[in-house]
Amino acid sequence: MSRHPLCIPHEHSFSRRQFLGGVGASAAAAAAMGTFGGLVQPAVAEDLKKREKQVIFIWLDGGMSQLESWDPKPHTEFGGPFRAIPTSVPDIKVCELLRHTAKQMHHIAVVRSACTQDNSHSAGVARIQRGDPKNRGVDYPFFGGAVAKLLGPCPGGLPPYMWVKPGSGGFIHQDGGFLGAKYGSLALGDGKPPESLLLPPSITATEDTLRNDFRSKLNARYAAKHRKANSEANSYVYDVARELSRRSDLFDETKVSDRDRDRYGRHDLGRHMLLGRRLLESGVRFVKVNSYGWDSHGDNFNASQSLIGKFDQSFAALLEDLSERGMLDHTLVIALSEFGRTPRINSHVGRDHWPEAWSIAMAGCGIKRGIAVGATSERGDVVATEPYDIGHFFHTWFRALGIDPGLEEYDNHGQPLPIAHDGMGPIKDVLA
Amino acid sequence: MADMSAKIVKTLEHSRQLWTARYSPCGKFLFAAGYDALIHRWDVSTEEPKLLEPITGHSGWTQRMAFVGDNLLTADSWGRLIAWKYAAEKPQPAWNLEQALGGWIRGIAISPDGQTVAVSGNDAAVKLYAVADGKLVGEIGPHPFEVFSVAFHPDGKSLATGDLKGTVRHWDLGTKQVARQIECPALYFLDRIQDSGGARHLNFDSTGKQLLCGGIKAPTGGFAVGAPLLLVIDWDAGKITQELEHEDKNHGYIYDAAYHSTGFVMAATCAMPGMGHLWFWRIGEPKPFFMSKDVSNVRSLSLHPNGTRLAVVTVVAVNGNGKPKGDKYVDGIAKIQLMDLA
Repeated sequence: MSRHPLCIPHEHSFSRRQFLGGVGASAAAAAAMGTFGGLVQPAVAEDLKKREKQVIFIWLDGGMSQLESWDPKPHTEFGGPFRAIPTSVPDIKVCELLRHTAKQMHHIAVVRSACTQDNSHSAGVARIQRGDPKNRGVDYPFFGGAVAKLLGPCPGGLPPYMWVKPGSGGFIHQDGGFLGAKYGSLALGDGKPPESLLLPPSITATEDTLRNDFRSKLNARYAAKHRKANSEANSYVYDVARELSRRSDLFDETKVSDRDRDRYGRHDLGRHMLLGRRLLESGVRFVKVNSYGWDSHGDNFNASQSLIGKFDQSFAALLEDLSERGMLDHTLVIALSEFGRTPRINSHVGRDHWPEAWSIAMAGCGIKRGIAVGATSERGDVVATEPYDIGHFFHTWFRALGIDPGLEEYDNHGQPLPIAHDGMGPIKDVLA
Repeated sequence: MADMSAKIVKTLEHSRQLWTARYSPCGKFLFAAGYDALIHRWDVSTEEPKLLEPITGHSGWTQRMAFVGDNLLTADSWGRLIAWKYAAEKPQPAWNLEQALGGWIRGIAISPDGQTVAVSGNDAAVKLYAVADGKLVGEIGPHPFEVFSVAFHPDGKSLATGDLKGTVRHWDLGTKQVARQIECPALYFLDRIQDSGGARHLNFDSTGKQLLCGGIKAPTGGFAVGAPLLLVIDWDAGKITQELEHEDKNHGYIYDAAYHSTGFVMAATCAMPGMGHLWFWRIGEPKPFFMSKDVSNVRSLSLHPNGTRLAVVTVVAVNGNGKPKGDKYVDGIAKIQLMDLA
């Protein structure tokens, strides 16, 4: 019996040897190229274009009001103050707060018939990001961990799952769920690299090599006495740090043009979205860009003007850049939150949590472009077409990445587990 | 004089939430507007107010209104500004500007000579229109952020604007240039990436020596918690001389404020259900001398020309996550409380 979660039938092993091999290759390439600033190394970029799928997962922690974004209901009972505006796709209108994104609508598929289960934060974050599979007595990986497992790292050698977030960073092993710590995320707090990333000037390269050799021996001794998954995860974190130390220029914002900084916005979400693009360009398989504070129980419309305005600016710039670089063909872009917000407006001019009828946007590889799927009622309080739970979305996204949930499954120490909710299927209207 | 209080004498209910209600200068009518974009009217010349047919013509939310002469000016969140001869049996637009601003009109003010209306909005613009015909007569700017509030100085030579970041700008109407800025940082907070708060309300006293600037102290995102705060600004000195701060941090924003003719300040505050009151505060004193326990979630106040009755807009709109069981799921309602001062 395998001691490790495995994919069946295709093995996408993520061994330390392979990882370090990738590190070596990319390090050599990087050395040959010198620093590469905000642009991907051409060889890596070509390779990614040809065969590698990537994901950028924009997570708005809380709930973005569907009525002030993807599914406006202007001049209706719950419509609020804002107008709907035309987009680059005839017949699709969005809220005026998405004025930049409206010009990129021809890249986007929006599903307006999301209907999920949880209206609380405590349950919503994990259930949505795990795809809410049936309860099997295990913690499923977050989507990033699942993709890291199923597709492995990209050839560039960078960690497969990186999380750009406000606040603190670190290695978030919990995101790996039952797959193990190795499939957790490397979180870049405030978009900054882990502390002590750079080699101190007092340590020479030779000393560093000797130090690393010594660490490897200690790791081997540790591995002999511990579960392989634990020892691999332990080594993995250090390996990731070493690789990132070679890519420190990724975090050097002086290498980003003023034009790009203005286009994405100089606020946290803009800076982090721009870093997300650069991480994709550099070969990270799965990038999660996280924004907090999307919870406008009070003063929703001023909050939306501020929050959605910033999302709009950076999201539109991201789509424009990925499209211009030809990256949308192999990059899946997803933007979502935990739930939508109530159509009803409370006394504090706020909207509360509303999983019953909301919207999720996506673009890129495997996804049709310039469509709106599903609809809510005229008042926006219920889904008027077939409702889709988060499990449907996970099926859709896996298929968009070339992974067939009907064929692939996890092996959790001998326990076969579906990679997505086995009572649901993909949203076929969205798939290209 | 003895402290005043206010007591409910009549309640006018409306099936949708309202933003504002204003007595006409003649005192015969009460007009109200809100989420349904309609202009609602009551004849209040008799003891029992008589509901009149509403006026149509707006979209989105109709949030601001102002009277000048026999005109009522109404502004909506889609940028439309309309002038009505308000006393007509069926008021028709005297003029109608579809895009007086590029979006949500947040502030409206009438010049002391009654010739000009200023509107400010989310598009960071302030525009001046002639009351007589709706012609654009000037622009005031640029502003870097949304302009939530606007007020003419009683001397007619200056205009004050209040923005998202809590900056009050003094504009010289002759040169259309900024004469000075008065910062009110207590009214703004960047909560993660959310700009919260702002100078939501401005109005001068009749002498022009004081300017009231209202909002919420140290606002947060999320539940938008904070203490209602009305800043008293000495206009000549350009300095904040007193902070009229509600003692309870759950009472939300100052939504409206006005001077009573005897000099005290009346303010309306609103937050989560049951929070936000009507209070009266004499400037210079440490706390309000009247806090109504009979009304909550107050969105606006309007003093009848006779000086003895207030029309106070309150809303009843529940909160809660997800779909409630057995609930018809409708918008909240408004109750306009007519309150006698004594």
